[in-house]
Amino acid sequence: MMVATLSLLGLLVALYLTLFKIGVIGELTCRIGSCETVNTSRWSMFLGLPVAAWGMAAYLVLLMLSLIGLQPRFDGSRPVAVALTGIAGAGTLFSAWLTYLELAVIHAICIWCVTSAVIIGTIFLVSVLDLRSVTAARPDADPELADASTSN
Amino acid sequence: MDSGRGRRANVVKQQRQSSMRNFYILLGAVAVLGSALLVYNGSRPKVQVTTVDLPPGSISDAEGYRYGSASAPVEVIEFADFECPGCAQWSTVVEPDVRKRIFDTGKASLRFFDFPLEMHRNTLTAANAAACAADQNKFWEMHDRIFFGRADWATESTSRPDKFMASYARELSLDMGRWQKCFDDRAHQARILGNKAQGIKLKVGQTPTFIIAGRMHAGGPSYDEFAALIDSATKAAPKR
Repeated sequence: MMVATLSLLGLLVALYLTLFKIGVIGELTCRIGSCETVNTSRWSMFLGLPVAAWGMAAYLVLLMLSLIGLQPRFDGSRPVAVALTGIAGAGTLFSAWLTYLELAVIHAICIWCVTSAVIIGTIFLVSVLDLRSVTAARPDADPELADASTSN
Repeated sequence: MDSGRGRRANVVKQQRQSSMRNFYILLGAVAVLGSALLVYNGSRPKVQVTTVDLPPGSISDAEGYRYGSASAPVEVIEFADFECPGCAQWSTVVEPDVRKRIFDTGKASLRFFDFPLEMHRNTLTAANAAACAADQNKFWEMHDRIFFGRADWATESTSRPDKFMASYARELSLDMGRWQKCFDDRAHQARILGNKAQGIKLKVGQTPTFIIAGRMHAGGPSYDEFAALIDSATKAAPKR
């Protein structure tokens, strides 16, 4: 549930930055830092698309996966937990690189980008913990839990 | 015993369903609230308007860089910084339309004033490059090229913007000997800072800022907003 909620928040933040990038929103609300400097720099594009749009896609996939994982049929599903951890891990590394660029190269901080970095980092931590608990509770690891899971 | 376990399983199932229902409600509420904030932000006027005391003649005709006919019924004064992202966005996205449909048709003219902000380390270099291009009647071509290439030469990209300016000057087929000397000597720096001083006197607080018919509009208006401001200024302007 936490991953789904955080993914939705991340999606909204990424959508906000994407709308600015494509000109729908004229000005970012940015009381701390210089959001516009960061979001108009050359590093605000990645493979021909706004970085924020990539973030939107990642958060959307995370949201869908986490909602799938909440369905009784996929409760405790290891593939879902692995996919969530993998995508969140890649997103965290990408966000760490972007934060490095903000601090060391652009010399400007975008508070919305930092918010997104914190969100994706938290999703990754929660996903890792979830993956560990799913792995520990695998039916082949504990026969009693196997019974319990089949009875669900 | 079995029926007791069954009842417990039912209770657990109901509790789970109820907690999932609450969760979906919470998720829906976050989605609705977030979307509402985005819609509010998107529909918020992009410019803040204040009235400015600008009696006729308070800015000399010789100041700024003019685009369009001096006899146009409305004169727009723009204060902009070449390194400001909002100015670059306005210049590359909105201004081409504004020129074609408003300035080129004689409905209004524009006077551009440099307003180099200290936080932008490369902006004065750009302002000087454009001023030296103006000596060869290519200010607007240079203005457009500088704004278009902003991401390449801005502070976050390079500490040596001069080579970008020189390459733009070459692209525009300027007399490079004259342009380079003017640029290296910072021949127009005093005028550029004078333009900024004019803005400070008028209490310009951000870039871009437009002054239209005595009203100061801070921020970059969309084409429709700009056209509406010109229409209303035209109606209020004395007939020439």
